[in-house]
Amino acid sequence: MNGQLGYFFVVVGFATSVVAAATLSLAILTGRRRVLKQALPYASVLAISAIGAFVVMERALITRDFEVAYVARVGSHATPALYNFTSIWSSLEGSILLWGLILAGYIMVVAMRFRSRLTDELVGWAMVTLFVVAGFFFLLMVGPANPFETFNPPPGFDGPGPNPLLQNHILVAVHPPILYLGYVGFTVPFAFAIAALATGRLGEGWFVETRRWTLFAWGFLTTGILLGAWWSYEVLGWGGYWAWDPVENASFLPWLTGTAYLHSVMVQERRGMLRVWNLSLICATFSLTILGTFLTRSGVIESVHSFSESSIGPWLLAFFALVVTVTVVLIGTRGALLASPGQIDTPISREGAFLVNNLLFAAFAFVVLLGTVFPLIVEAVNDDRISVGGPYFDRMTMPIGMLLLFMMGVAPVLPWRKASAETLSKRLFWPAWCGVGAMLFSLMVGARGVAPVLAFGLGGFAAGSAARQVILATRRSGWRGFVGRTNGGMIVHLGVVIIAVAFAASSSFVRQGEFQLDVGETATLAGHTVTYLGLEEIEHAERLEIRALVEVDNKGVRTPAISLYPSGSQSIGTPSVSTSLVDDVHLSLVTLPEDGTPPVIRVTVQPLIVWLWIGGGVMAFGTVLAAFPGRRRRGTDPVSSPAALEEVDV
Amino acid sequence: MSRRSWLWVVVFGIGVGALVVAAIDDGTPRTNADRAYDVANDYACPVCDGQSVAESDVSIAREIRREIRTQIDEGRSDDQIRDFLIGSYPDIDLNPAGTGITALVWIVPVAALIVGAAALAAAFRHWSVLGETADARDAALVAQRMAERDGGPPGE
Repeated sequence: MNGQLGYFFVVVGFATSVVAAATLSLAILTGRRRVLKQALPYASVLAISAIGAFVVMERALITRDFEVAYVARVGSHATPALYNFTSIWSSLEGSILLWGLILAGYIMVVAMRFRSRLTDELVGWAMVTLFVVAGFFFLLMVGPANPFETFNPPPGFDGPGPNPLLQNHILVAVHPPILYLGYVGFTVPFAFAIAALATGRLGEGWFVETRRWTLFAWGFLTTGILLGAWWSYEVLGWGGYWAWDPVENASFLPWLTGTAYLHSVMVQERRGMLRVWNLSLICATFSLTILGTFLTRSGVIESVHSFSESSIGPWLLAFFALVVTVTVVLIGTRGALLASPGQIDTPISREGAFLVNNLLFAAFAFVVLLGTVFPLIVEAVNDDRISVGGPYFDRMTMPIGMLLLFMMGVAPVLPWRKASAETLSKRLFWPAWCGVGAMLFSLMVGARGVAPVLAFGLGGFAAGSAARQVILATRRSGWRGFVGRTNGGMIVHLGVVIIAVAFAASSSFVRQGEFQLDVGETATLAGHTVTYLGLEEIEHAERLEIRALVEVDNKGVRTPAISLYPSGSQSIGTPSVSTSLVDDVHLSLVTLPEDGTPPVIRVTVQPLIVWLWIGGGVMAFGTVLAAFPGRRRRGTDPVSSPAALEEVDV
Repeated sequence: MSRRSWLWVVVFGIGVGALVVAAIDDGTPRTNADRAYDVANDYACPVCDGQSVAESDVSIAREIRREIRTQIDEGRSDDQIRDFLIGSYPDIDLNPAGTGITALVWIVPVAALIVGAAALAAAFRHWSVLGETADARDAALVAQRMAERDGGPPGE
């Protein structure tokens, strides 16, 4: 029953998307504007069908309806309620279902938000684009990734439950939806970009309309990526949080281009320039979400996270090709309209800094993309199998990261149009002292090595620059000095600096050791003592958990564990972390005792880990502040022109 | 020189000095465990999907880690151990080689960045010769914009 009902909702969602896209585009082309108002009812039906499909799947999971093949694959009577609920996004078909739900939700909110302007062609084409994208994802569910395929369970059948790694940490409940809110959210600005190209209305309109939508998506993507890193740190046993794994890269790529876009639209708003570039960036961001999904869901690239082989690869690749082709053709045919009216006077200006920022972000994204797909290229060319891993990405991205930190220090103090040496010397003075202060402090507490100390110095510099802006703004306008794009943006910058410093410290000064200790024996690593106290076994409904009792620094007992699941042949480790503001002691149980030898315990000590999560919180908070309106200024206000004329007169 | 200029010289001096200290002072000496960890991080676990030897807990990865530790205890150098690993297991080097087609993964991004930077520099030069005065066309644009603002059609 659930299978048929769910599939019904999926088919309705698909049909609605197709009919909506066809009707609306026809209405625009034939000039029957009133028909465009139907976007709202279409969006409502789509939302209802997406919610319906999701609820039916949850119902099937909760009632353990194994006649739905997906439930038979990821459901089990033994799975605890929470992880049973979250198992809906633990495998391919369910995660496409979540994608469809979130996309339908966005479309509904867009339709409501713009309901008074649905007859406007710009909004009309945006709705068409959104329905086309929704149609594609519902098509996946109708065909190759049907979540409601049926299954004939033998009597007494019980499924294996979700992947054991996806049922032992609460972050599994929040990381995927938040990441998808970010990932899918970029569809909205993309749709308006396509609409701007289709209507030829390429002025400021489209991206001003979608500024908050972009910010919203970006904030969730940022949070989602960091929660993923946190999950990896808390759940996987290796003690790290970022491995340049293809799935991580797939989420990071649109973040990089999206971040570049958030900065470069400001140039277009103020100076009317970079039209092609901004359109390309947002289209690239959306395409990269599709490409990333293709790379990680099609089985072409091996990754710890990727779901097993599936048949949706060619579909995603075809859709990616379609998106890129449409974008390129539209930009190509709009060439004359896209010519930018403005010019940039000197590189030493705010807009010059944004261009450098964009160059760096583009280079960063290029390195990540190239490194991710390079093994495929080499294999296609000469059948060699090579690996491109962490060491490559670290080495290539570190200089770009340093330059970005430097730019974060310089750019916020630069005025638009032109900066004099005097201005720079005055405004960068205190940030520079913050930078050397940070370097001296890091030397004092024992940091060595050019790269980390330079990173701390540049971090201090960027933080000083961001703090300067916020302090000046709050002095001028009180609490309003915290809100608005510029000030909220500076809070985001502070979050980035915190993360950059924590990243540099934890990756440069990580210490790891593996110990086989007898009961009562103590080992020392990086100033921390760990004492092994013995094992204990705990029986859960779905697994047997074997915990090692390990005392850390005589401050408390941690319990890294290994869980044995009857259904899976693999054993799953669960690390245990002793956290402080200074450093983390991460413990994981690598092997259980064999033939009288004690268990192997891996101890990883990394400084400043907790600041990664704090920095993420600061970034999210800053994003919210940036979404509030600051000082009002209309995009069409010719703020800069009079100043230029005066300068010429002098 | 003004007082601030002098202080800028001091800031740069301290910064460079700090980097020099950070470069030449080795700090706490590296232990054998640190060396083993660094080596293990540079090689892919032969049977895993995208995990390094240091990260993976499957038996072959544990075996390789034990091998690295044993060889370090026996007094072999990092380079000797790296050669041994590459010779023993195919395709596990996470640092792509700098030869043949593989070298492109190192060269192409750097070349792209240089081309991008050159293009940006050329654009700045192009803009700087365009002149800075507003001409009649600009004035017309501003007038048109202002007119739109003060009662033009809604939309943009």
